[in-house]
Amino acid sequence: MTDTFLIGMLVLAAGLFAVGLFGVLARRAVLFQLLSLEVMLSGPSLAFVAAGARHGDPAGQGMFVLVLILAAAEVALGLALYLRMARTADVTDSDSIRDLRH
Amino acid sequence: MTLSPALILLLVPSFALAAFMVLGLYPYTLRRRQVHIIALLGGALPLLIMAPLTGLCAAGHCLGVVPIFTLTVGQSVVALALTLDPLGATIGLTVSAIGAAVLVYSITYMAATSLADLRRFFALMNLFLAAMLTMVLAGDSIVFFLGWELMGLCSYFLIAYNTTSAESITAGRKAFIMTRVADAYLLAALLLLFLHANSVRLDVLIPASATLDATMTIVIAALLLGGALGKSAQVPFHTWLPSAMAGPTPVSALLHSATMVAAGAFLLMRFAPLMQLAPAVQVAAAVLGVATAAYGAMSALFQQDVKRLLAYSSISQIGFMMLSLGVGAPEAAAAHFVMHAIFKSLLFLAAGDITHGCVEGTDLSSMRGAWTRKPVSYVAFVAGGASLAGLPMITAGWWSKEAILSAVQGFGAVGQVLWLGAVLTALLTGAYASRAIMIGLMPMRDSDMPHAGNVHRHEAPRTGTIWTNLPLMLLATGAIVAGVLVTPIMHFLGAEEPHASAFSVYVAAAAPLLGVGLALALVFVPRLSEGLRNVRAISRKARKMPRRGEGGPQSRFVRLALWLNWGMRFDGLYQVMFVRPFVKGVRWLNGYGSAPADPVGTWPMLALVWLQQKITAPLAPDWFDKLWMWGAAGVVRLWALVRRVQTGRVRDYGFAMAGGIAGLLLLVWGTP
Repeated sequence: MTDTFLIGMLVLAAGLFAVGLFGVLARRAVLFQLLSLEVMLSGPSLAFVAAGARHGDPAGQGMFVLVLILAAAEVALGLALYLRMARTADVTDSDSIRDLRH
Repeated sequence: MTLSPALILLLVPSFALAAFMVLGLYPYTLRRRQVHIIALLGGALPLLIMAPLTGLCAAGHCLGVVPIFTLTVGQSVVALALTLDPLGATIGLTVSAIGAAVLVYSITYMAATSLADLRRFFALMNLFLAAMLTMVLAGDSIVFFLGWELMGLCSYFLIAYNTTSAESITAGRKAFIMTRVADAYLLAALLLLFLHANSVRLDVLIPASATLDATMTIVIAALLLGGALGKSAQVPFHTWLPSAMAGPTPVSALLHSATMVAAGAFLLMRFAPLMQLAPAVQVAAAVLGVATAAYGAMSALFQQDVKRLLAYSSISQIGFMMLSLGVGAPEAAAAHFVMHAIFKSLLFLAAGDITHGCVEGTDLSSMRGAWTRKPVSYVAFVAGGASLAGLPMITAGWWSKEAILSAVQGFGAVGQVLWLGAVLTALLTGAYASRAIMIGLMPMRDSDMPHAGNVHRHEAPRTGTIWTNLPLMLLATGAIVAGVLVTPIMHFLGAEEPHASAFSVYVAAAAPLLGVGLALALVFVPRLSEGLRNVRAISRKARKMPRRGEGGPQSRFVRLALWLNWGMRFDGLYQVMFVRPFVKGVRWLNGYGSAPADPVGTWPMLALVWLQQKITAPLAPDWFDKLWMWGAAGVVRLWALVRRVQTGRVRDYGFAMAGGIAGLLLLVWGTP
C-alpha cells in the first residue's frame, strides 16, 4: 500500500462522488436520483476504506459499515417515499412535486 | 435473564400473539384455509401448554414467579414477571380451553364472512386470547395492566366488528368509554400500591399492603373494586354489556360472557389478601354483587332477544362472583368463574348456532323449533341452561352456586340478608334460563323460516358440522359433569368447601325448581305470554318513535316487563346525566349552532381586542409607528425576494447543498 495507491483511490473516490452528484443534479427521474445517491455514498466509503488500509486502522472499515447502514436506512426511507409519491405525482420527474414548496 | 425451563410459561400467550401477528401482516396474502390453520394453532397451542402446566401445579409443582425482565430505575425496580400459582393455573386453563372451543366453533360459524373480515376477526380473537392469558399469568402490575388494557381494546374492536353498522360501532364506543373510566380506577390503585411498595411485582405488592395505613387500604381497595365493577359490567357500570351483544356470537361467547367480563372477578381474586384488609369495601362488594345479580336476573327474565338475555344473565352470574368475593370466599368465586365460563360460552355458542340465519336475528322467537331444526345445539343449550339455572345435583352450575351460597351464609347477620337475596336471584335465574329452553320446544312459525328472499347477514348458514358440534358437545358435557371439580378446585386454591345447614341447602335447591315453574307460567299462561308479546311490540315501536306513552295505557304487568326489558332504563338515565351534557358541552365549545366558535378562546381574544382599542389605538399612528411599519414592509419585500430561492425542485436544493459544502471546504482549505 503506497501513497500513490492511496491518492489514486482518493481520486477514484472523488470521481465516484462527482459522478453521483452529477446524477442527482442532472437526472429528473426519482429512482435514478436515488441510485445516484447510492453512487455518491460509495465515494466516501471507498475513501474511508482506502485511508484505513493505508494507516492500518480498522476505524476506516468501521466507518464503511456505518455508511452501509446509513445507505440502507436512506434507501428504505427513499423507496417508501417513492411508493407514496408514485400514487400522487409523476415519479419520472422530481420537479413535478415542486408544489410542496407552498 | 437466565434461561430456565420455567420460561415455558412465556410460551402460553406467545402462540396466540404470534397468530395475531401473522394474521395481522396485512400485505401478505393468506388463503382461507391458511387463516383457519393459523387461527386454530394460536387458539389451541396455549391450551396444550397450559394443560400439563396446570397438571404439574395440581401435583404441587407450581412454577411460581418466573422473572422475565428486570430493570433498575433509581430506587425502583421494574421487574416484569409471569407467575403460575393455583389461581392463575385454574383460570388460565379455563380461559385457554374456552378460547380453543370458541375458535374451533368460529370456523364454521364465520364461514359466510369475507376473507378480509375473517382474518381481522381471527387476528383480534387471538390477540384477545394472548392478552387475557397474559393478564391471568401476570406476575407484576405492569404486565397485568397491559393484558387488562389489551383485552379492553380487543373488546372494542370486536364489538364494532361489523363496521357497516352504526349500532355496533356505537356499542363498541360505549363499551370502550365505560370500561376506560373503570380502568382509570385500576390504574390509580396499582400506582398507589407501587408508590407504597416500591415494586411492581405482585408477590411483593400484595403482602406489602398489610403495612398500609387504614385510610389508604380502603382507598386502594375501593379503587380496585371500581376497576373490577367496570370490567365485569356490574351495577352501575353494567350498561355496556347488553349493547356489546352487537358483536358476532363467538365474540359474545368468549369475551362478553365467559372470560373477559369475569376478569373483574379475577382481579379481586388476585388481590383478595388486600381486599380482606378493608371489610367495609368487601361488604360494599357483596351488596353490589347481590344487587347486580338480582337486577341482571330480573332484567333477563323479560328480554326478548336471546343474546341480550344471556348478557343480563352474565351480569347476574358475575354478581354472584362479586358476592362471593365480598363475603371473603374468593375460592368459591373462582370455582363459579370456571363453571360460568363453561356453561355461558356453551349457551352463547348453542344459541348462535340455533338462531344462525334466522330472519328475526337473535330474537327469542328464532329459538322456536330448535328441537326439530338443530337437535344437537338444542341439547347443548338445554345442558347449558340447566347448568345456568342450577338444577340441583345434576348440573355443574348448582355445585359452584351452592358453594357461594354456603359461604354467604357463614357471613353473619348481613350474610343472612345477602343469602336471601341470592336465593331469590337463583329462583329468577331458574325462570329465565328455562324460559329460553321452553321457547325452543315450541313449534316454529312459518314466518320464522329462513328463506332465500330475505337479505340477511348470515347468508346460507352451513352450521351443524363437526366444527360446531364438537365444541358444543364437549362444553355440554362440561356443563353437566364439571360440578365434581368444584371441591377439588377449592382445595387446590387452598380453601375448604363451606358447609351450610341442610335446611338452607334444601331451600337453595328448591329455588331453581320454583323458577322453572315461573317460566312455565310465563311461557304457557296465555295472559302472561300475551303481555310479553305486547312488550316486544311496544319495545320495537319505541325504538322508532322514542315518545313516552306511545301505544296508550297498558296493564301493570306490561309496564313492569317493559321497564325491566329496558334494564330499568339505566341507559336513559346515563344519557340524561352524562352523555347529553357532555355532548352539549363539546358542541358549545366547538361553536355548534349560534354560539361563537370556541367560546373559551374567544373571550380572552375579545378582551384583548377591546384593550387594544381603548389603550393603544388612540396613540397610533405617530412617526415611530410609521418608521417601524416601513421597516416591517421592508421585511415583506425581503421575504418576497428570498422566497424565489425556494424553487421546490429537488435538483436545485441538491445543487445548493453541494455548492454550500464546496464553499465550506474551500473555507477550511488553508486552516491547519
